[in-house]
Amino acid sequence: MQFLKLFTPVFIAIFLILSDYKFSYLDSVKQFIAKLISPIYLVVNLPSQLYIWIDEQGATKQALLNQNKQLNSELTRLKGNLQMHNALLLENQKLTKLLGASYQINGQKLILGRVSSVSQSRLKKQIIINKGSNDGLAIGQVVLGSEGVVGQITQITPLYATVLMLTDPTQHVPIKNQRNGVRGIAKGLASNQGKLVVNFIEPEFDVVLGDVFLSSAIGSKFPAGYPVGKVTHVEQHPDDPFLHIELTPIQTTEQLEFVLIGSNN
Amino acid sequence: MNTQRPYVFLIKITLFALIISAIPLSQIVLEVSPFWLLLFFIYWLIHFPAKGRFFLALLLGVLLDILQGDILGQNALALILSSAFIANVKQSFVVSNSSTQQVYVFIASSIYLGLFLLVHTLIQGFNFSYYLLLSPLSSALFWPLIKLALSKCKHQ
Repeated sequence: MQFLKLFTPVFIAIFLILSDYKFSYLDSVKQFIAKLISPIYLVVNLPSQLYIWIDEQGATKQALLNQNKQLNSELTRLKGNLQMHNALLLENQKLTKLLGASYQINGQKLILGRVSSVSQSRLKKQIIINKGSNDGLAIGQVVLGSEGVVGQITQITPLYATVLMLTDPTQHVPIKNQRNGVRGIAKGLASNQGKLVVNFIEPEFDVVLGDVFLSSAIGSKFPAGYPVGKVTHVEQHPDDPFLHIELTPIQTTEQLEFVLIGSNN
Repeated sequence: MNTQRPYVFLIKITLFALIISAIPLSQIVLEVSPFWLLLFFIYWLIHFPAKGRFFLALLLGVLLDILQGDILGQNALALILSSAFIANVKQSFVVSNSSTQQVYVFIASSIYLGLFLLVHTLIQGFNFSYYLLLSPLSSALFWPLIKLALSKCKHQ
């Protein structure tokens, strides 16, 4: 009887581990429990929300006017860039038509979210954002920062979503070199340096310090063309058929406050 | 002073432990931080004789797995077996002084960490920060504080 009292829950736990790893039978149960315990995030975020509210209430009129002026000038600059982007998009469409190719740039609907908290799991590198299924988000959607790719939504509740960062060791991102199109797979490092390693690039390919790698559309997991990381270390080991390349993410999380969640239309 | 009912007290301390576990910390501090839920559950195991304690450990572990986005059952398995160790040494634990209790907590936390990392390594490979290995030590160091705080709450 004592044996059963201990080993029944142990077997259930092992069953849960296997079913969560290999199958997705329990996803709906997980989502349901996640919804039930999501108020915990509300309680945890209460002090920071309160601080933001007090900070906003205490802003002087002059500071707001200055900020408004700065944002307007930034908006004008971005509109200028957008005109160039639109011209390139039209050109791309014309060339695609002329070539009879099926490749096209997908339109994206973007939702703005705010980072609520960073990383509460010991083994995973993830952030929590203040948008959830009530705002139309879904598991698998890609999250972007102002500089580049942040990660992918892995868990969702009505009010919050968990984003697994690019720097997590379980996250694999297809990438390509901006300079010469060399392709590889980026993967996070378990250390606390917040870096990525690039796998499967052979030594004969040209990769140098300072090269920027962009997301590639292979696998359709991430949209193509968003900055992922900059090369900070390249080394060739004599007993390794591939180069050892380290990237520093373009989008750092230290000052990340707002993110964009993209979904293909 | 009234002593609280076992399951009511467990619900309260579980909520509190989950809130502490969800507080955003820097990566290094998070990795060396104690296993809050384990510490709270050890206190409950020691002071409240109750039925189905391993099923309760399973339930609490699953809640933590979902809250932290870990593999379902990872924290649950670790919590069940580390609480089985505490249940085994319960008689000795109760009569021990604080330092000996800290040694027991250190062993229970090491079991927890070992199982937690074993599941992670089997499924996702050997890739974790070595700062994690300090968490049993921090759990043992925090034990007297947890014990003091919960003994105050228990009699409210």
